[in-house]
Amino acid sequence: MALIEAIGLSKHYGAVKALDQLDLAVEPGIIGLVGANGAGKSTLIKILLGILSPTSGRATVMGMDSVRDTRAIRQIVGYMPEHDCLPPDVSATEFVTHMARISGLPRTAARERTAEVLRHVGLYEERYRQIGGYSTGMKQRVKLAQALVHDPKLLLLDEPTNGLDPTGRDEMLDLIKRTGTSFGITVVVASHLLGEIEQVGTYLVAIDAGKLLRADTISSFTKRTPVLAVEVEEGADRLAQALDQKKLRTRLDGTRILVAINDDTVYDMIRDAVANLDLPLVRMQQERGRLEDLFRDAAPAAEGIQ
Amino acid sequence: MTTQTQPVTEAPVHGATEAAPAIELKHAARWYGNVVAVNDITFSLGPGVTGLLGPNGAGKTTLLHMLAGFLGPSAGEVLVLGRSPHRDPSVYRQIGLVPEREAVYPFMTGLEYVRFNARLQGMPDADKAARDAIAMVGLTDAQDRAVGTYSKGMRQRAKVAGALVHDPQVLLLDEPFNGMDPRQRIAMMDLLGQLADRGRTILFSSHILEEVERIGTEILVIVAGRLAASGDFRAIRALMTDRPHNITIRSSDDRRLATALIADPAVFAVELQSDRLSIQTSHLSAFRRLIAGASRKADVRLLEVASSDESLESVFDYLVRR
Repeated sequence: MALIEAIGLSKHYGAVKALDQLDLAVEPGIIGLVGANGAGKSTLIKILLGILSPTSGRATVMGMDSVRDTRAIRQIVGYMPEHDCLPPDVSATEFVTHMARISGLPRTAARERTAEVLRHVGLYEERYRQIGGYSTGMKQRVKLAQALVHDPKLLLLDEPTNGLDPTGRDEMLDLIKRTGTSFGITVVVASHLLGEIEQVGTYLVAIDAGKLLRADTISSFTKRTPVLAVEVEEGADRLAQALDQKKLRTRLDGTRILVAINDDTVYDMIRDAVANLDLPLVRMQQERGRLEDLFRDAAPAAEGIQ
Repeated sequence: MTTQTQPVTEAPVHGATEAAPAIELKHAARWYGNVVAVNDITFSLGPGVTGLLGPNGAGKTTLLHMLAGFLGPSAGEVLVLGRSPHRDPSVYRQIGLVPEREAVYPFMTGLEYVRFNARLQGMPDADKAARDAIAMVGLTDAQDRAVGTYSKGMRQRAKVAGALVHDPQVLLLDEPFNGMDPRQRIAMMDLLGQLADRGRTILFSSHILEEVERIGTEILVIVAGRLAASGDFRAIRALMTDRPHNITIRSSDDRRLATALIADPAVFAVELQSDRLSIQTSHLSAFRRLIAGASRKADVRLLEVASSDESLESVFDYLVRR
């Protein structure tokens, strides 16, 4: 059974079709959810949480219907919203305990779970201070902690690294990865940063204009292509010339020379050409597909308009 | 550029562009009470794109606000096109600022907002300038909608159009990609590149190092209010002589290649990993010249050669985690 399933899912706001006959089946893992602004990501998340009801079609989470079984779904789903939603005048401990109580945990269990979850997200002494004085990174951790406190099976994260600096981002991504792999919780990460999704995700769901653009494993997007990129510190033109003479198919791309790999002797020809010309070899690497290509090719003329 | 509405001071901005660098800081500092946000920073920038990097709270926004003329330095000098921008509206004509915070009135349409900026800058044909700027950021289809109905990425682009409308020499952007989707990011990166090609000086702050690396190689790194490094990040990397360079290699026979490489003085560590070799060298250029010949001599097929710590990400990491 798919963890999340959408069948002919549509949501219209007046004339605007936020979701348009979306069909989707997602297996457990760490799933990146990408799409242009206004593509329908937030609408999909809100339908899965039972906050919005679909205009037509249906969505299920672990076989439960998003409209009929809303309460049951909320027990197994944790949600980390994108916007700043934390009360400034309580401590992280108080806030997360409160959220645990709302999820129906008894007082003692709520307290214990809160302590565990805050440690997991990396909040220690700070947890007793008021949230208003927290840095962006600490606030993001509190948001993640409240989403985890009731031990959900599915975690929905909306732009979890927003506003974080490079170190903070790395830590948050690491935390997401650990949460997904060691606790076996399925994590859906909505993000605009494709590099980030490449780093943590196992599966990618791309939606565009309310329809499914593509859904596949991350590795299928980033697999090696039969093209070798060669970079030298100097003399790229001479190297390209030498390779052309050996009847290799090459193309100059900025400072890089792209060579088609017809068979394994290509590697030797490049090595020998570099050695003969006595050039400093910076890089020789098979080109990989990039998640970004998904958006480069599909870019319509009226780009980015909602 | 356009006619100045009021030449307030004696030296016109134009005359200054020839001699002075577009942006120059001389021992500039800014403190708020006891909090030192920017501490004794000296650098100068010319045309092109430069990425302004640093952890949260390092002083990036304070620096941009000093350059935009919002704040005067507490000590030292901040110069844009050779003149202090603080409280000098004639310098503002040459500066465009995209602030990080929401700075767009929600009740205005995109076009109204940009036209308002054009009039503020004394443009003779504000309407045309506004429409051109809106087209440049790809918002024409939405220009007559209220900004309040825009998505985050659209508001961000409206801000960029507002900052560009008077075609300033110097463009300052604070986290411009925030909230933009992948397609909009690509378009905005291309736009900044085009403006740089036309001789504009662009300084933008960002936390997304992969993106900064794709736009350009010039960076300015601020850590705790101080300038940690400036210039081409590859040159900065080359100066870190205390950090050996890591190179990974895949080949047809890693063990044999390892034996051949360790014989050379340029190589000081070789580690045999499951499917690759990890090599440390302090003489990067010497190693790069060596590798192809050495593997040919050892009769080993080279499958992959890659650096693992030459990226902006590693350079930044080395600078900040010192």
